Amino acid sequence: MTPPPAMSVAERIRPVAVPAEAGDSKVNSDILRVMEGVSLRYFGLLAIVMLVVAWAAGVWALQVYQGLGLAGYSGPVFWGVYIVTFVFWIGIAHAGTLISAILYLLRAKWRNAINRSAEAMTVFAVLTAAQFLGLHVGRLWKAYFILPYPNQRGLWVNFKSPLLWDTFAISTYATISILFLYVGLIPDLAIARDRATGWRKLLYTALALGWQGTTRQWKSHTRSVLHLSGLATPLVLSVHSVVSWDFAMTIVPGWHATIFAPYFVAGAIFSGMAMVITVMVPVRRIYHLETYITEYHFENMAKFLLLTSWIVSYAYITEYFVAWYSGVEAEQSAFWLRAFGPYWISTWVMITCNSIIPQLLWFRRLRRHVPTLFVVATFVNIGMWFERYVIIITGLSREYDPAVWGVYTPTWAELSMLAGGFAFFAMLFIIFLKLFPVIAISEVKELAIHSRSHASEEAR
Amino acid sequence: MPSLLAVFDRPGSVAEVAHRLRNRGYADLEVYSPAAFPELDDVFDARPSRVRGWTFVGGLAGAVTGYALTIWMANDWQLMLGGKPFSSIPPYTVIAFELTILFGGLMTVLGLLVVGKLPSGRFGKRAKSYSARFSAEEFGLVVGCRERDLLEVDALLRDGDAKEVTLVEP
Repeated sequence: MTPPPAMSVAERIRPVAVPAEAGDSKVNSDILRVMEGVSLRYFGLLAIVMLVVAWAAGVWALQVYQGLGLAGYSGPVFWGVYIVTFVFWIGIAHAGTLISAILYLLRAKWRNAINRSAEAMTVFAVLTAAQFLGLHVGRLWKAYFILPYPNQRGLWVNFKSPLLWDTFAISTYATISILFLYVGLIPDLAIARDRATGWRKLLYTALALGWQGTTRQWKSHTRSVLHLSGLATPLVLSVHSVVSWDFAMTIVPGWHATIFAPYFVAGAIFSGMAMVITVMVPVRRIYHLETYITEYHFENMAKFLLLTSWIVSYAYITEYFVAWYSGVEAEQSAFWLRAFGPYWISTWVMITCNSIIPQLLWFRRLRRHVPTLFVVATFVNIGMWFERYVIIITGLSREYDPAVWGVYTPTWAELSMLAGGFAFFAMLFIIFLKLFPVIAISEVKELAIHSRSHASEEAR
Repeated sequence: MPSLLAVFDRPGSVAEVAHRLRNRGYADLEVYSPAAFPELDDVFDARPSRVRGWTFVGGLAGAVTGYALTIWMANDWQLMLGGKPFSSIPPYTVIAFELTILFGGLMTVLGLLVVGKLPSGRFGKRAKSYSARFSAEEFGLVVGCRERDLLEVDALLRDGDAKEVTLVEP
């Protein structure tokens, strides 16, 4: 049979019936809308947090000029608010990897609505935490001494020190978190690229790497996310374990405990989840994302809060029991002084916020009541900062010899840095909201298309 | 060689048609999908993605580097600490573990770029058959075929639930 001429074939094949750009996905338009336009309120909020960051930067410059005396460090307490806040932010950084990696491996589909924002928070929290190490070392320009680099003195770093393990753990965590965030973003950047104009088009074209959603691309992407999840899961458990060993490897009463690693990891997940709730409640409301982040998502996060609150509370009880059961006087007095010594307020704030208030979440109505959950999560954030304050400050101020006991009070400079840390984190997140999709569009769409396909198959 | 672009609403339909076309000997196929669907993963190649090899090599290199770095440095500048051996494996395992994860992660992303052929195309240029519809909620199946096969492919695509079929000139 003679094949028909090409033109007649082309004529017989119907032309495109629907214009290519017509009828964009609702998911695309709903989520990309968050990135469009900036209101006066947005600029106002950004200006406030930038002012606080600028203030903190000025105080940092003053500290570099005057020295660490500007902080309240005085014998015997040489780890103060900077280290407390460093541990706090590293803890916050754990929710992103928990939601993205562990829940991905467990195939918990509810994570799709919140994983992107949690991953971004992880990156921003690690960046914030790293600054507090810089603040704490004082002579920032010599911070590179911690890295093993060839030098004329012919000496290397001490790999037996937990502080060096921390350097490796935190830098690995920062790198993997950034990779995780970026790899997950690639398909969504392509969605934004296909719809953007001007400088945004250029930015997303460059970052999307020519992504077109071909089978080959999706297959390697899915596999990469799976592998990154597999790598990030033990990593997230190791990072806060290593941070806890900064304390547990010493012989300071109240620190030298084998329970520290799981206790810190549970606390990190607890505080990270609380921060995700604290941030996502206003974002959901301001940008009308109620369709995507529902009460069901908040209820699941609330259950996580309740579970980790109990793990943390169990650790508190265990610490007291071990101190009593050990018969070691220094341990017993350290824990007695935690509750009834000069820092008793911090301890009771910690217990109230982390162990008592979260018990409200036993009630389903309260778990699904977003304003209540927001308040509980905010208390948990406060309580978890105080937990680190209690562990670090009471531990150092009351060691073995009462002759060298002392009382530490944070100075205005340290409190400025604490505020600066929160403002820096907020600033990065506020900028992120306008540059990148805050919800993983392609993952949400996968669920939407699946349910649509099943519905149409059933209708047949 | 010309090609036909078919647009679908369901990933299952794309997978079915793609299998049918491959059985008929049409090998020049490309699928555009707005999200990851397991049914489309094995359309062209049922084997697991080669990214796993990249991750494995990265992880192994990280573990070896971690132990080698720490043991060599500790012996190069010997610092006696509490009578512990210079080559103390337990503390160095922490470093080896972190580097396993770090190198494994970096190589996974490199594997994604190599295996997924990213970055693809020239900057700002996209394939003729690609459009923003495929980053919305529709699926595209591109079939490259000889001119004399166009009608047969067109019929196969329409039978397979394609809602539109268009000719893409080479």
